[in-house]
Formats: sequence, C-alpha cells, structure tokens
Amino acid sequence: MTFLNNIRTVARYEAKTLRRSWFFKLFSISALVIFTFLNIGLFSPIGDESWNMVSIPSSVPLINLFLLNIGQAIVVIFLAADFLKRDKKVDTNEVLYTRSMSNFEYIIGKTWGILRLFLGLDLIILSIGLLMNIISRSMSVDIMSYLYYLLIICVPTIVFSLGLAFMLMSAIKNQPVTFLILLGFAALDMFWLYYRFGSIFDYMAFGFPVFKSGIVGFDNPGQILNQRLFYLFLGLALVISTVLLFKRLPQSRVHTTLSWIFMVLFLAGAGLCGFNTWSYYQKSINVKKLTIETNRKFENSNVASITDATIDFIHKGDSFEATAFLKFVNDNNEGLERYIFSLNPSLSVSGVTLNGKQLQYNRINHIIEIVPGKMLEPGKSDSLTVSYSGSINESFCYPNYDDNIKDNRYRIEMVNVHKRQAFVTPGYVLLTPESNWYPVTGLNYYPSNPARIKVDFSNYTLRVKDEKGLTPVSQGKLGKENGDYVFRSESPLTGLTLSIGNYKSDTLKVDSIKYITFYFPGHDYYKKDLSELRDTLPLLVSGIMRELESTFSTKYPFKTLSFLEVPVQFYSYPRMCTQTRAELQPSMVLLPEKLSTLRNAGFHKQFTRQKKRMTRNNQVITDKELQVRLFNTFIRNTFISGENFRFINGVAINEPIRYRLGPSFYFFKNNFYSSEYPVINAVFESHLQKVTAPGQGSFAGMDGGLTDNDKANLILKNLSFRDLLAKNPGSDTVRQVLSVKGDYLFNLLRARAGIDEFSAWFKKYIDDNKFRHVSIEKMNSDVREKFGFEFYPYLNDWFNKTGQPGFSITNFRVSQIVVDNRTRYQVTFVASNKEVVAGIFNVSFRTGGGRGQTGGGPQIMDVVMSGGGPGGRGNFSISMQGRGMEASDISKIVFLGAREAKKIGIVLDDQPREMMINTIFARNIPGQITQPVNELEKPGDQAKPFAGEEVLPSIPSYDNPSEVIVDNEDTGFKISQQQSVSPLKKLLGIKNRNATSYQEINTYWAPEYWQPVIQASYFGSYILSSVYTRAGTGERLVTWKGVIKKPGYYDVYCYVGKSLERMTVRGRGMGGPGGPPGEGGREADGPGGPGGSTGGQQEKGPYQDMHYKIYHDQGFDEITLDYQNAEGGWNNLGRYYLSPDTVKVELTNLSAGKIVIADAVKWVKAE
Amino acid sequence: MKIEIQGLNKIYPNGNHALKDINLEFGTGMFGLLGPNGAGKSSLMRILVTLMKPTSGIVLIDGKDIQKHRKELREMLGYLPQDFRFFTSLRTWEFLDYSGSLAGLKNRKERLSEVDRLLDQVGLLEVRDRQANKLSGGMKRRLGIAQALIGNPRIIVVDEPTTGLDPDERIRFRNILSQLSQNDVTIILSTHIVGDISSTCQGMALLNKGELVFSGSPENLVKQAEGHVFKLTLTPYEYEKVKEQYDVISTIPIDTGWEVQIVSEEVPVYNPVSIIPNIEHAYVYYMEHKLHADMID
Repeated sequence: MTFLNNIRTVARYEAKTLRRSWFFKLFSISALVIFTFLNIGLFSPIGDESWNMVSIPSSVPLINLFLLNIGQAIVVIFLAADFLKRDKKVDTNEVLYTRSMSNFEYIIGKTWGILRLFLGLDLIILSIGLLMNIISRSMSVDIMSYLYYLLIICVPTIVFSLGLAFMLMSAIKNQPVTFLILLGFAALDMFWLYYRFGSIFDYMAFGFPVFKSGIVGFDNPGQILNQRLFYLFLGLALVISTVLLFKRLPQSRVHTTLSWIFMVLFLAGAGLCGFNTWSYYQKSINVKKLTIETNRKFENSNVASITDATIDFIHKGDSFEATAFLKFVNDNNEGLERYIFSLNPSLSVSGVTLNGKQLQYNRINHIIEIVPGKMLEPGKSDSLTVSYSGSINESFCYPNYDDNIKDNRYRIEMVNVHKRQAFVTPGYVLLTPESNWYPVTGLNYYPSNPARIKVDFSNYTLRVKDEKGLTPVSQGKLGKENGDYVFRSESPLTGLTLSIGNYKSDTLKVDSIKYITFYFPGHDYYKKDLSELRDTLPLLVSGIMRELESTFSTKYPFKTLSFLEVPVQFYSYPRMCTQTRAELQPSMVLLPEKLSTLRNAGFHKQFTRQKKRMTRNNQVITDKELQVRLFNTFIRNTFISGENFRFINGVAINEPIRYRLGPSFYFFKNNFYSSEYPVINAVFESHLQKVTAPGQGSFAGMDGGLTDNDKANLILKNLSFRDLLAKNPGSDTVRQVLSVKGDYLFNLLRARAGIDEFSAWFKKYIDDNKFRHVSIEKMNSDVREKFGFEFYPYLNDWFNKTGQPGFSITNFRVSQIVVDNRTRYQVTFVASNKEVVAGIFNVSFRTGGGRGQTGGGPQIMDVVMSGGGPGGRGNFSISMQGRGMEASDISKIVFLGAREAKKIGIVLDDQPREMMINTIFARNIPGQITQPVNELEKPGDQAKPFAGEEVLPSIPSYDNPSEVIVDNEDTGFKISQQQSVSPLKKLLGIKNRNATSYQEINTYWAPEYWQPVIQASYFGSYILSSVYTRAGTGERLVTWKGVIKKPGYYDVYCYVGKSLERMTVRGRGMGGPGGPPGEGGREADGPGGPGGSTGGQQEKGPYQDMHYKIYHDQGFDEITLDYQNAEGGWNNLGRYYLSPDTVKVELTNLSAGKIVIADAVKWVKAE
Repeated sequence: MKIEIQGLNKIYPNGNHALKDINLEFGTGMFGLLGPNGAGKSSLMRILVTLMKPTSGIVLIDGKDIQKHRKELREMLGYLPQDFRFFTSLRTWEFLDYSGSLAGLKNRKERLSEVDRLLDQVGLLEVRDRQANKLSGGMKRRLGIAQALIGNPRIIVVDEPTTGLDPDERIRFRNILSQLSQNDVTIILSTHIVGDISSTCQGMALLNKGELVFSGSPENLVKQAEGHVFKLTLTPYEYEKVKEQYDVISTIPIDTGWEVQIVSEEVPVYNPVSIIPNIEHAYVYYMEHKLHADMID
C-alpha cells in the first residue's frame, strides 16, 4: 500500500504544482473558452450543425479530442521537460528524494500526475461536447465513443510525449535541446510524417484514421489498437527508462529490477505493435505490387466473357463460403486453351468442377488458371463451377493506389476516415465487384494500359444464406427459396453487389421504376425532415429521372434504382479505365451512412436557416415549396451534376463524383471495345457521361487556372495518346486526356456526319446495342453504311501520333443582314492552322440580351474575376462545347487541314453577344476562346449571306517586319534565379516548389520563383501565358533578348495583360481591339490577375511598380511602369537607338507591390 | 543508535577529493560537523542522507550499510539541506503535507493534525496557507526543520541550518534543535559557524580539506586550547604589531587603545592575561596552530 500511497502522493502534488503553473492555466483556460465556442459553433442548435459533423455522433468527441490533442501534445512537452529541470533547480526537492520511496514510485507518480491533469481537462472538454451532443436535435449520443477516443487519441499521445520528454531530459540534460527535439518531432508529425509508412510515426493520431462508424463501429480496430498501443507502450518504456536514468540513488532493488523487466516488456510490446502497424502498411504494398505483377503476366491473355453466373453465398461471421456456377463465351477471334479468372487473393479456391468433374487449375495470386482439356473455339460457350471461401483482401482492389492518406485523402472535415472497399464482419457485409468476391474474367488493372477495361454483361442469380438472419441486399428481383434469399437480375449487369446487414427498406414506384431505399434503423431522418414531400415525391422523382434521361438522350435501363446505405468508411478510388466510381453500381447507389459526407443532406438545418432568411427578407415560401427546393438541390448536387475537387499539394484535382448517376446511362448499358485501341470504351464513357450543369463553371475557370482540356493539351503537346498511357500517368491526367480525346473523336464524327444527323443516329444506335459489346470495327462499318465515311482510319493518328494543330481566329465580324425579309446575323471570321497536323474546333454562340448588363470582357473572365473585370454576371452559362450525347449547343464544327486557312461564315437567327470557340485538341491554351461581339455592322440590304467554309489560298500573315516580339514562351526569354534548398529540406527530401507546370495566380501567396500562369488576357501565339513571382528586392530576374537587323530608333513596348482591354485571341502583331469596359464593372484586382483598370474605385492592388531595364547603344535605362494604371496591351517604355545585334530588356522582382509579372516585350522600328 | 563511518572517500568526477578516509562514530544526540567552507561537510551529509554514493568506504547505522539499506535509512530520516529556499507552487501546509505523506503518514486526518502541530512548533501556523515561496528566509528554514521533523524521524540531518539567519532566528533555531536532541534521536548538524555547535552537541567532528582533523566532544576540543588564549590590553601601536604576530579572535576598543583576545602557542608579551577558552577559541587554535603544527610534524 505504501507503493500506491507514494505514487498517489507524488501524483497529487505534481498535478497541483502543474495546475498552478501559468502555462497550464493559460492553456486550460484558452482550451475551455475555445472549445466551448467551438462546440456551440459546430454542434449546438444555434451553431452551424454542418451535416457531415453532426450526422455521425462519434464526430463530437473525435473532433474535440483531435483538436485538443494537438494542443496538449505541445503543452505536455513543455510541462514534462520542465519537471526534471525543476527538480534539478529546486533544492527543496532534495528533501523529497531522501524520503522513503523508490525512483519507480516517484517517476510513475509524476507521470500519473501530469496524465491525470490532462485527462481531467479532456474530460471537461468532452463534457462540453456531450452537453451540445445532448441538446442537439440532429444528433444521437454515442457515449462509448467518448471513452474510446479518450483512450485512443489522448492517452497514448500524452504518455508517449511524457516518456520521450522525460527520457530526453534525463539523457541529454538540456531543456532547450529537449524542447527543440520534441517540438520538431511534433511539427514533423503534423506536416510530414503523419501519412508516411502507414502513419506509423503519427504519435498524435493527427492523420491516422480513427473514425467510428455508426454502423460497423471502428472498421480497423486491429490497426488502431496496434498503432496506438505502439505509442502507449513506447511511452511507458520511455517513462520507465527515466526511472533507470533518474539521478537519485535507487532504494528498492525489487523496483529497479521490475523497472528493467517492465521496460523490456513495454519495449517488446511496442516492438510487436509497431511491427504489426508496419506490417499492415507493408502487406498492403506487397499485395498491390503482387497484383500488378500478376496482372502484367496475364494482361495479354485472351479471356472469355461471362454470360451467366449463379452464386451460392453463405455468410459465416468474418468470412464466407461461396460456389459460383459460371457460363461464359469465347468472344475472341482465337480459341481459348486456358480459362483465366480473377478472384480476390484472400479467397481460397477449394475446387473447380465441370459437370461434377474436377478440373485442373493453378492459383497464381488472384488468378485462377483453368485447363479445361480442350480448346474453346471462338463464339462457343462453356461453363464451370468454382467453390471458394475466405474473406476479402482490400489492398487488391485498387492496386495502382497506395494508401497514402495525404495524396488520397478521405476526410470528414479535418479528420481522416479509413478507406474501405469491402466489409465482411459478423454483423455486416458489403461486397462490390471491385473486390472480385466472385470469379470474373477481366483484370482489375492493366499495367500496360491503365485505361483498358473488360466489361461483361452477365445475368446473375445470387442465393444468400446468412447465419444470423440479417437482410441481404443485391441487384435483381428478390425471392425466397428454402429459407434463402435469391436475387435474379432483371437485365444483364456489369457486376454484382451484395450487402448484408440489419437493413430496413422503403419502396416508391414511379413510371415503372422501383426506387428502393435500404437504410439502418433510425437513419431515415430525411422522412421527418422532408415530411411535406410525401404526396409530391413521385412527381419530383419522375421529373428528375426524365431530366436525366433527356440529358443523356437515353432511357434509364433498369427496373429498379436502389439507394443502399453503407458505412461511411466505404470509399472507391477513381479509376483510369472508367469515370464510374464503385459507389455507383448497376441499378444501385451506395450512399454513406446518414448521407454524412454529402453536401445539402442536413435538411432540417437548411430548412430552418433558409426559412429564417426568407422571413427576414419578407419572402413568402411554404414549407412544402422549401422542402421541394432542398430535395431538388440535394438530388442534383449528389446524383446529377456538381464537381468533386480535391487538393493535392495545392493543385486542384477534379475527380469523378462518387454518386453521379451518369454511368447508368452509358457505362452499365453499353460497351464499345477494340483490341487495337483498348482505351476506346473509356473515351466513349468520358465524352458521353459528361454533364456540367448550367451555371456551374469548371473550378479551373473559377480560379483562373487551366481547365482540364488545357491540362490535357499541355500533356499531349509532345506525347501521343499511346505513349502517354504507356507512362502510367495519374488518374486525373488520364481522365483529362480521355476527355479531350473523346471530345475530339465525337466532334470529328459530328463534323463528317452532321451534328444533328449524328446525334439522332447515335442515340438509337446505343439503345439498339443495350447490354451488348460492340466492337469499334462494327461501329465503323455501321457509320460507313449510314454516313458513307469511315472513322476507323483516323484512329491510328488519334491514338499513335504526336502533334497538335494550332488555331488563330482573325477578322471576326458580325453584321446584321436581311434574308428573306427576316433580320439575320452574319458571322464571319478567318480560322487558320499553321501547324502540320489537321484539327477541328467547334463554334457556339451566346445570343439574346443576357449580356446586356455585362461588360465586354472575355466570357470566362466573368467567372475568374471576383469583384473586378467585366462587371455583372448577367445571364451566364458555360457552354458544354459539344460534350455529351446531344451537343446541341454547337453551331458549327470546323475541320482545318494542316497549314490551312478558311474563311468561315455562319448565319444566326438571333443576335450573338459572344462567339465561343473550343479548340478541343490543339496547342491553344486556354482552349476556350471567347470573342465578344463589340460592334454590329449594318452593311445594308444588299449583303449576301455566307454560310459555310471557304478555303483560303494561303495562311494570312500578320507578322510585321518592322517589329520583333519576344514572349515568355519564346527561346529569347530567360529566367535567372537562385533557389537555395535549406539543409533541413535536403535532409527530409523536401523539394522547393518550382515552376513545373502552369498554375493560377495566387496574389496572397505568390511563389518565390517565376511561375508560369495562363490567362486569356496574356500575350502568346498559342499559349497565352506569363510568368509571375513574389515582389522583392530585385533578386529574381527575367530577360527578353531579341535580334534586330537594321540600326535605328526603336520603340520598346512591354505587354500588360489585363482582361478588359484584351481580345482573347491574337495573332502575332495583331492584338484585337479590347472589349468595352463593363457598365457595372468595378475595378479591383482579383486573385485571377490584374483586373480591369477603368471605372470604379481603385484599390491598391498587388501589381504596382515594375522596373524594366532597357539596354541600348548608350548603355541602359531603367523605366518604371505603373502596372496598375497601365493600359491593357502594349505599353511604350521609350524610344532608343539600337544597333543590329541582340537587344535586351530585363525585369526584376523589385516592386512595392506583392507581385511582379512578365509577359512579352517588343521592339518596333520607328518610322 | 550508532552511526559508524568507515574509510569514507569521495572523489568527484572532476578529480576533487572531497572526503579523505573519514572514520567516525557517534550515537544518539546532537552531533556537530564543523569545518570551513569546502571542508567536505556537505559531501559527507549528502552521503549520509543517501543523495550521493561514496567512492569508497561505508556508513553503518546500527551496523547496517546505508547503501544497501537505503529504504530503512530513508524511513527514519529527516533532512534539511543547506539551500532550502526555492519551492514549487505549494502552500506552507501543503509542503509539509507532501513530506508527511511520503514519510509514511497515510491517514489524512492524522497527517493534517501533525502538520499543524509542527507548524505551531516552529511558529508558522499563522502563515499556514501562504505560498512557501513567499516566506521569509527564517520562515523557510523553520519550514525546513518542520518538514525534516515530520514523521518522527530517528535521524535528523541538518546542513548549514543557520546560514543567512538573523541572530534571533539563529537562537530560535538552535533552541528547536536543542529541544529535539533531548528526544531519542540523532541530529547531525553541519556548520561552519562555530557558535552553532557550542554546548548543544554531545559530540563533534572537525573537517578540513576533506580530512577529519578532530572528533570527540566539544569540551575536548576546548580543552586542547587551554593556556593558549590570552587577553591583551594594547595601545594602537602595539595592536598593529600584535595583529601581525598572532591570531586575533576579538577586538574591543577602549579609552587607551584596544582590548584584544588572541590565540597563541607561546605566552605573548604585552601583559597577557590567560583566559578560559570557548569553542570558538578552540576552533581557531585547532585550525591555525594545532593542525598546522601537526602537519609540520
């Protein structure tokens, strides 16, 4: 008892001492204030109650302790390191050291004292959260999660921090150095280590996913337990090592021996848990590697296509047993000597039989290679039965993704959620086709061509037996036979999903489609929140489905659409071979529990908030109307449109939306394949499933950066499609390139067949070939038959050839003419392609009066310039530019041969406000060119309409021989700068960010290097770019060097890219006239670039003085340009006498503003 | 209780030989450890209270080696270190309560009662709730003795307890120790102030430069100085001469010049009057003459 008394005594007084320290007082009071407000703000009814925070009740303790833990992990370092220092400094402690207690008792007492103090604070903060949790209408209380998170997050962090601090202080006996090491480690964890090596170094659980689902609880308890015990044990071992290192003569040999024993035991425990944590990570890497290597061996093997599959499934706790009877056909041109199937590697095959006879088979990782004994001839069918059992290895599912939580982030607010691809637990099962839970013929990843995919349309029969009596959910018609659940698919499916759980369901039948929601008890909160919709729901659903069918120009192909609630951890990675995420399955959407990650799913809060706002604004809306609005917004944003941007290293990546229904209208219904161009299905899918809702511009458009098309065109500048795929690029790159290539291919077809004609034919064509494979050769012959041309020959260049066309649009004129006594609008322009590769572009118009109140700047800049630029937003929409099945917005598609120029004429019924050209696949960056109609000519009644194309004898030249222009994209433009890498960065392998690609301008955090940026207002022949950097003292320099041939006086100009004054497309030497300033436009420098310079009040923007150094025969002159007040376009810097030779202008980053920007310089011979 | 120190040596890592073959034995009562600064008193004390290990030699308490029986020693020990000034943020009573709890007073009620009793004994009850750090120097010393006394220790080690105290506090402190020594406890008092030893110590040892130069009773020490302490009445001129020739212990100005006390091996001129030495005289005689003479021998 003396043992415990001593520990308790030391703990009590250590806690008392710390509690009275100003540092802890400051921290605890700050924490109490901050967390009270935080909880009120986030979780209370008067706060935000953001749905993704309140939908899953474990979020409350998690968010609280996650944030608090960061703070206390830092504070504990100071307090713990201070304790030994204090003992050393305060002599009075010697009187305690002469008391009868062992060093073990003393150190453990100290540790417990600090620990209990922090745990006390944690409990107080948790109580505040619990109070909000209880009073919140939107949340239930998960009381156990409060305890779990305290043990999982806080205890190991504090114990480890204490142990490390104690040990370091005992070993190095230097408080500042100890602080430095510990704070450095904490910072490293938060900024660098938290995601590395499976989060093994994440002692704070800063990034380590510990999210608790309301359905399955902690989905990764083993992983959590090992990672956290690793730090708990390590912390305890370090604490005990302090006992042994403690500078006081030990008094108890028993305790000293015990200390050694415990230290060794804890170290062993830490080693074991650390090894297990590492193993989770390493095993996953190994499985992924092995999967890829195995796939590489089999990717060129011919495989059959499964036409029918009957699967008997028995759920047995953490595993299952299954028997799959598979019927398949050889649809290759060659016979099959071996049947190759793929099955999840954790499932062990117990037998393969054909008509009751065992077949010989090899299991090579996930591949089942079966030798049937006879060749299966092309077009012939065969069948066999595979018996297997086990569970699912999820690392197999997306082998090309590592589990790096930084790059592949899945978060609810600030906390990471563990990503799961399948669940097989006693209480819950979720198996999607991506896990290969039944044998399939295709591979889940083709290493040599990641965009390739094997799609089978199969008829499935699934018989499910669950020993616990849970409810299975799958596709198809449900029946019960001999106590088993039997699902029979009503149409061929590309894959089968099975979920087993304590599901409840509701069904709504509208227009012959059954909409079924499968949810867990108590998770149907939306019924109450949208109670007014009961009567109108069928109407709303019908309207939405009709809209979808109209958008995709095809009928919804299934008889049911199920909405299945799955644990929040279920996550699919974007794939390169398809835009379809695993959250969407044929006739089924897998939605996160309580719709927790979905925007707009907090109906009650939105309702209350909007109602209040409307009442405040004297707007009258009935409850029903408001609920209809909320419902529609939710459905549209979740299932129809919207965008899914993720930031990786500061770069926005646009990923396919997880729940979008688009794939139901193509991917699950049609399949085009080609052995020569295996990417073809992904290309078709990318083009045909694309939906951008009116009013929603692309993110890139919003921030002035590159659009996906632009990015793809930059990637393809020096690479063929084939070469690019062989490089195994990232999924985002593949998606961008597929999109551009798809657009190009379909616009080519439309250009040859006629826009309307092709659309009508293709719509019927894909409906006629529903649930069938169609070879691209077959489609080619069908196109030839219908339209008299073949597109297949184009595919060679399209896939294999490098090179892009480059378009210049000049002489754009719009005139009002009269045709057949009707006022029409004649649009003419000259389009030229100086490159050696032919290409196409399409033209669309913004017509009507919507633009009336806006300024005349480029359309895309309407979105770019927040608070600046062209003025009001007007009737704005971004053109689809020929995406999707209809492409109804395209007025004309123009084909331009290599080194060809055409005069184009288009006659419109309505007055155009803007002409928009999409260069699709070309060197033009940005690829969307907008020509505002600034002047409407009225040539009189005699003007003849001209609709069509006229090939010009030569490409018009606008080069002016008396001027020399050097753009930042030219070879005469040089960047000189010194970039130093700090030793710490070197040590950690952190590279300085540098200008490897075009990015958008960031006026708040300009880079310390010259960063290329794209904007329609910049100068360029094809790439409208400039470079910018953070203003400074002149340490960074750019130089323009040109060559002049004749001596004389030259006017030197620099280019100032301002959106208002610029046409968006210029040929060399012929920058078009600027658009008129926006009437309502207010000037301010928005983040996208220098805003308009006219009208409105001026604020002091980031662009100010720019210092040009002009070299001439008499030396050099330094000219300061007031960039903010400079005219958009060419600005004269002065006249200088120059001799024939290289001429030079320099610009440094010296400026009083925030940014210095460098675009183009020209020398013009004075007359 | 019998404390035996046998062949004790302490050599610090920097080579400083702080204790040189110390052999000492004493029992219950107050034992004074006298010596100039740097004599090795604190080193010896720290070894006695198990804060430090000797380089060689042993300390036996009732025949038990304290390095092997630290627990037993610590259970019977009360210690007041030389520098008892800086405290953590504890109140006066809390500091005593902390010490008391570690000294084995597990019952809270009894412990608090003992705390108040001791605070009363050392005259700190009024400042019971004051932050220990905010006590005056004397109060801190008293708090120190109170904490050394809590739990009824059988050995009390006090290192330089009166340093920095004013005369009143010093007397008060000596009285407390004196009262304590009446009980069946061993008090080891280390000091460089000769007056602290005086008559209260039954035994004493004299340390110089790490060596034990004397051990025995204070009376024995005093006895050795008998016949070597003189009182002289001097003119200013004579005084200057005497200062150069003898160790002057005290100087009192008088009308005709100075009345001084000196320690000397031989009988000085200047009309000496032999006086009965006290411990201070004995200490000076011992350190300046006896020890010096022994070293020459």
